Amino acid sequence: MTNSQNNSSVVDPRGPKPRKIMSRRNIILYGTLLVVAIYYLIPLYVMIVTSLKGMPEIRLGNIFSPPVEVTFEPWIKAWAQACTGLNCDGLSRGFWNSVKITIPSVFVSIAIASINGYALANWRFKGANLFFTILIFGAFIPYQIMIYPLVILLRDLGIYTKLPGLILIHSIFGMPILTLLFRNYFTTIPEELFKAARVDGAKFWGIYFRVMMPMSLPIFVVAIIMQVTGIWNDFLFGVIYTKPDTYPMTVQLNNIVNSVQGVKEYNVNMAATLLTGLVPLTVYFVSGKLFVKGITAGAVKG
Amino acid sequence: MFNKVQLERFFVGSVMLAFVSLVLSIVGIKSQLFQNIQYLLLFISSVIVLLIGIQSKSINFFSNRLQKQILGWLISAICSAAIWAFAQKGIQSIFPAIMGYRKAWNTLEPFALYATVVFIMFALMLIIIGARDTKIDRPGYIERFLVYNLSSKIAAMPMIFTSIGIFIIATLWTIYHSFTNSRMLPKSDFIGLGQYERLWSSDRWYMSIENLAIYGVCSLIFSLFIGFMLAALLDQKTRFENTFRTIFLYPFALSFIVTGLVWQWILNPDYGVEKIIRSLGFDSFVFNPLYNADIVIYGILAAGLWQGTGFIMCLMLAGLRGVDQEIWKATRIDGIPMWKTYIQVVIPMMRPVFVTTLVIIAAGIIKVYDLVVAQTSGGPGISSEVPAKYVYDYMFSAQNLGQGFAASTMMLVSVLIVLIPFAYLEFGRRKYD
Amino acid sequence: MNSIEINNLSLNFGDVKVLKDLNLSVNKGEFLVLLGASGCGKSTLLNCIAGLLEINDGQIYINNQNVTWFEPSERGIGMVFQSYALYPQMSVKGNLSFSLKNAKLSKDEIEKRVKHASEILQIESLLDRKPAALSGGQRQRVAIGRALVRDVEVFLFDEPLSNLDAKLRTELRVEIKRLHQKLDNTMIYVTHDQIEAMTLADRIAIMRDGLIQQLDTPKIIYSNPVNKYVAGFIGSPGMNFLKGKILQDGKPIFKLEGGWCESPDLSNYKFQETIKVEKEVWLGIRPESVVVGGEAENMPVNFNLEIEVFEPMGADTLVWSQIGGQEFRFMVDVNTSINVGGTLTVGFDPAHASIFDLESEERL
Ligand SMILES: Nc1ncnc2c1ncn2[C@@H]1O[C@H](COP(=O)(O)OP(=O)(O)OP(=O)(O)O)[C@@H](O)[C@H]1O
Ligand SMILES: [Mg+2]
Repeated sequence: MTNSQNNSSVVDPRGPKPRKIMSRRNIILYGTLLVVAIYYLIPLYVMIVTSLKGMPEIRLGNIFSPPVEVTFEPWIKAWAQACTGLNCDGLSRGFWNSVKITIPSVFVSIAIASINGYALANWRFKGANLFFTILIFGAFIPYQIMIYPLVILLRDLGIYTKLPGLILIHSIFGMPILTLLFRNYFTTIPEELFKAARVDGAKFWGIYFRVMMPMSLPIFVVAIIMQVTGIWNDFLFGVIYTKPDTYPMTVQLNNIVNSVQGVKEYNVNMAATLLTGLVPLTVYFVSGKLFVKGITAGAVKG
Repeated sequence: MFNKVQLERFFVGSVMLAFVSLVLSIVGIKSQLFQNIQYLLLFISSVIVLLIGIQSKSINFFSNRLQKQILGWLISAICSAAIWAFAQKGIQSIFPAIMGYRKAWNTLEPFALYATVVFIMFALMLIIIGARDTKIDRPGYIERFLVYNLSSKIAAMPMIFTSIGIFIIATLWTIYHSFTNSRMLPKSDFIGLGQYERLWSSDRWYMSIENLAIYGVCSLIFSLFIGFMLAALLDQKTRFENTFRTIFLYPFALSFIVTGLVWQWILNPDYGVEKIIRSLGFDSFVFNPLYNADIVIYGILAAGLWQGTGFIMCLMLAGLRGVDQEIWKATRIDGIPMWKTYIQVVIPMMRPVFVTTLVIIAAGIIKVYDLVVAQTSGGPGISSEVPAKYVYDYMFSAQNLGQGFAASTMMLVSVLIVLIPFAYLEFGRRKYD
Repeated sequence: MNSIEINNLSLNFGDVKVLKDLNLSVNKGEFLVLLGASGCGKSTLLNCIAGLLEINDGQIYINNQNVTWFEPSERGIGMVFQSYALYPQMSVKGNLSFSLKNAKLSKDEIEKRVKHASEILQIESLLDRKPAALSGGQRQRVAIGRALVRDVEVFLFDEPLSNLDAKLRTELRVEIKRLHQKLDNTMIYVTHDQIEAMTLADRIAIMRDGLIQQLDTPKIIYSNPVNKYVAGFIGSPGMNFLKGKILQDGKPIFKLEGGWCESPDLSNYKFQETIKVEKEVWLGIRPESVVVGGEAENMPVNFNLEIEVFEPMGADTLVWSQIGGQEFRFMVDVNTSINVGGTLTVGFDPAHASIFDLESEERL
């Protein structure tokens, strides 16, 4: 690799081998990475600069040029005034809907899945693995095939197009991957600990709340990160199981940007897009390694 | 005639079967046959309860060692009876508060009535069994079913309900109705393969399939290749590894809608890349993938790759880190060049990672929907349609449910074609555990 | 009175039969050690007694009560695990009181019991620490304490000392023995360390493939093993087995396969039943019961052997040699001068040997 034969042949080699910083390998390596990184960053950059420009400036300049005159008008408009159909109260409604959907869905889906995973890891009963296998298969089945029967179910239960309905849907479709995540985690907790707790007289729920849960906080955090981003970003279920009043942010964003009426205000659109992406991006940048751990653990161990 | 163990087995079996047939009949496969089977099975189980009861010598509830469980089942019976009662008009008029959920009560009514009967029967069984001779070596069948690990079984109810009640039954329901002439509402008049014939003679469906194929093959190849290359580059004890990884992965945190909209903007011919290049002096430069029917799918592909490759890179990086680090030392001593080590040693060792990644990408591809909706809405014309969108449009806009069901069944079939060999390869060899 | 009685216990994991029709009874206040090779089902048996595994057949009585269908916590047992299994998020005090809280004891009672147990085990000063802040020995003390506070009839230990280093192991071993003498509970102790078994046990049960081979006092198991497996398993270095025949020549004599100038007279060996015909056997001689030099001359059997290899082990030296092509080991005092290729006069008393049938490997 780094070869310093030529200049060191005169001196007696001693101590650490000198390394060339500008070796060919390093130039190729970091050069490639840099170019790719720029490619990955461009859309974010474009979103930000566009959302800070006024419409005249957009028409004249190009999308990459930084704003000459920074304006926050588009952001305010996107949040409070942008129109979808007849409603002109901006993305704020979608935002609050998404909050109202995400928080309970995350809570319910993780509660259910962690208990499922715990039952599967520590209290296996006959047939449990069959259900689990079906559940995992369910993660790969296209949702489209289950959509309509669920519409009927929700309609029969009287929660179609209402928030509880969507929460139920997120809990159902989040279950496979979360159950897998928790099951795999709980099986790594030494079995003797579980046995000791049983000898100490703790029962199913006692062991779950007093022994397992306090030991598994990291995996709960991972699950929360996965679910918050997943549910926030969902579009399909939002568009099917809600109505304009209860549309989550993604659906509303799409409706604002892709609505055919009126003049296209690209800066407002980009501000709206950024606003929608802000929550998962924040989660992503704050959680860092845990996010990576979550997505790889959920996937690789399958 | 029969011994106790056999009787108990029959009891549990018939109760379970009765329940399954109830579920099937409620989910829509409404036929007199199922109703009759339910009553028959319930009748059989009550006869068995009687038979076992006759065989037991004494029944004393207060010395019963299964008291707690019996009480539990009786309470469950009361609860489900209450649900049944809430569905009754008379009771609803007495308690107006429960009227708000009338639909829910009505849906649950048949289940509730049935569950009440079954729970009471369970309680009866346990009363009989708990009072009988405990000197036998092993708890009987019913006891194992109803008492052992009961909390776990109850806690797993959501999973059981989801796996059977939703994943299996909903899938079967849709498949079944894809053979009907359902339009605005699901109907059960069987018309054979009519929907499929219509599906396969539709241009739009062909376009969807073709797009999915192009998108699928390209995104498989590119995301695996790019993902692996990036992972390999980051695995060179690279400085700023974390920064680079953060940059490559952030699009994955964004939704497809956001992704689609950004790329729609960047690829916009009036303001985006095309305009910039033209303003540099190349006046005839054309780059408007989203407005050109022939290449629109590649415009979507670009956005899709931007969003997902970081994730593939992460999986690959995890795989590379899982490779025994001694390998690198060994190949360095043997003087094998790095690229050769990757191709001949590391990649074969990472086979399982590649397989799982492949399945994950494949499962993601078939679901591709939001991206298209945000970026092109299927346009121009129908040139960027995908199957998932076809299904949605037919089910919820075109009021042609049958077409939607048939298309979604086709989607399922194509997933199974990918999934079954995988499941066979991966889980067939090592037992799933 | 029996503290534990196990009748016809069977346990399968799927198709694998781990325990087969096992019977065992343990007296009140007895210290029973389960000894056996890895994977023979010791932990499984212990878990069955504790109620942590659902058995396939048989009955378990603890204190004359049929506990076969009882929950672990209802059986009046305390259990100590190899990996300590302390709850990491609870303090030592929390660990000790967890079971008592589950049993809904009063605060005062809990306090009292925790104090009592921590005094016995000398862990009073550690009560507020988390398990992560304890040494291995301290952790194991806490684990024992967790069984102690429950005030149970029976203690179950699953290799409690095997995660500790040699010195701590000896210390805690003595402490467990002291504890047993003080409390007088019934204890079942799983180990595969012979020294632990020999020093602690009132009786030892040697297990193999889910069956108990021999259940007896350490002394009898050492001197009168019921079969070749037990004989080979107990004692370190292991017993010498010489293959040969017993001939009836007025008195029973042993003829080594492969030829040997000696043909030891076995008439003072206590056969279970007299042997009439010629029989193929193993003659088992413990290395420790072989004597060397002047003493050897006084033994009923003595002969000369060439030294092949020797291993000094401190107080003694283990000498490897051969008789008629079969391996033979024995111990000599460290002061005996030996060198490879030299010869030694050795002798033994057939009365202290063990003879096993070649085929069934049962003691004759
Ligand atoms: N959960 C299980 N499923 C299947 N087989 C098992 C299970 N637990 C133990 N076994 C098998 O049962 C046999 C007995 O195991 P057990 O743990 O009782 O051995 P052990 O005597 O305690 O060994 P060690 O001294 O290594 O602890 C082993 O062959 C083991 O492979
Ligand atoms: Mg063990």
